[in-house]
Amino acid sequence: MAFHSKLEQAYLAQRPRLLRFLIARGAGDAAEDLLQELWLRLAGAGDPEAAAHPAYMLRAADRLMIDRFRSRRQEVLREQAWSEVQPGLVEDIAPAPDAERSLAARQHFAAVERALAALGARPAAIFRRHRIEGVAQRAIAAEFGVSLSTVESDLRRAYAALADLRRTLDEA
Amino acid sequence: MIPDPKVREAALRWAALTGDPDFADWEGFTDWLEADPAHARAYDEVQYAVTDAAEVMETVHALAKAAPAPANDNPPFALSATRPAWIGAAIAAALVLVASFVLWPATRGETLYTTVPGETRLIALGEGSKIELGGDSRLAIPDEGARRARLESGQALFTIRHDAADPFVLTVGGARLVDAGTVFDVRTRPDGLALAVAEGAVVVNPRVQALRVEAGHRAVLEDGRLTVSAVEPAEVGEWARGRITFRDAGPAEVAAELSRATGLVFRSSGGAARISGSIALDQVRSDPASLAPILGMRVQREGEAWVIAAR
Repeated sequence: MAFHSKLEQAYLAQRPRLLRFLIARGAGDAAEDLLQELWLRLAGAGDPEAAAHPAYMLRAADRLMIDRFRSRRQEVLREQAWSEVQPGLVEDIAPAPDAERSLAARQHFAAVERALAALGARPAAIFRRHRIEGVAQRAIAAEFGVSLSTVESDLRRAYAALADLRRTLDEA
Repeated sequence: MIPDPKVREAALRWAALTGDPDFADWEGFTDWLEADPAHARAYDEVQYAVTDAAEVMETVHALAKAAPAPANDNPPFALSATRPAWIGAAIAAALVLVASFVLWPATRGETLYTTVPGETRLIALGEGSKIELGGDSRLAIPDEGARRARLESGQALFTIRHDAADPFVLTVGGARLVDAGTVFDVRTRPDGLALAVAEGAVVVNPRVQALRVEAGHRAVLEDGRLTVSAVEPAEVGEWARGRITFRDAGPAEVAAELSRATGLVFRSSGGAARISGSIALDQVRSDPASLAPILGMRVQREGEAWVIAAR
């Protein structure tokens, strides 16, 4: 991997800050390892100049923790699903065939669409615009002719609905 | 686990805030997290749900986009021109990736290429792109969309003409590799894959690790963990030219690779030794015992198999 000395310097300067953030995010004993992983991600970023900004690094650290939480949770769910069928065989989990995964994705999608639709047209549209299309909240506020705090509140409602849905799915 | 409603409300608020590209109050967010470990957990629950939902929405929109469009009142949304360019690229990549991941049900035609141990097979993809499939390997290519492939087992050397608008996407197990102008070698491993890049670069799992592996590097993904080391570009995919070089490899790995490449049966005994050496496959085929001095190991015949063991 090419070393971007500017990025590396910026990273070293931010290291204590990033470590503090990872610990606050619940990294525990793994904080140093995760910091290492974060550096790999930063060094692999398509745009080293952008990656050298502290906000970018913190966002990447947040993302790293989100990914970690998700993959752990999914692992637990897979193990539960599997051991219900064949206790003791957790090690040999075969990945679901594509068709099955595709079906599960469609079902999940339908549930997500329902949950968002229940909130009304605007929160659903704002969620899509922001989370899927990556538009900044300020631009969305201008586009929909609402205040920034309305955008935030719509997103909060959408997130609450999705968190409830997720809990129902995971407990099913 | 249902968190305290106040904590949950705050977690929802922070999740809405941090998701914004303009978010700057990382200090305030860190303070909130540090106030109580339950805060990070509540935030994680929200982000987990939202990220999952966003991903499944992208997936299904990608399906709608990639599939021959059925009559649909709810077309996939257009990409916005106001979005920063990098997000556009990221979404475009994600669309292709996710589509390749899910959109291969049995209803769609694909061609499966297989090789027996010792065999190699050249698959021409057109426009200067090709795949050389190693021995004892299985690779699937969808009939539509020549820019996709799935390596089910074994090893393959990819020489891919780069097209930023239509990146080549390889899926290996749950991992996705996206080329960025590239000659790269991939082999499956029991819990992951090993990738070596000779030219250009490959992005591993753009939506998870998003690790860019440049030429001259090798990445091993195992149990979700990535390790990167240096590799001599000239050695990448050597097997397709009749040679294999081992650097600090274990006997089991050497035996497996030799079996795949030669069609002879190699086994290993004792795993502690580290093996380095460069081997011409023709010579191994005609005289397996000649491996011994090159590898610095004992190579003995046992029935049909050749056993590699420490001296």
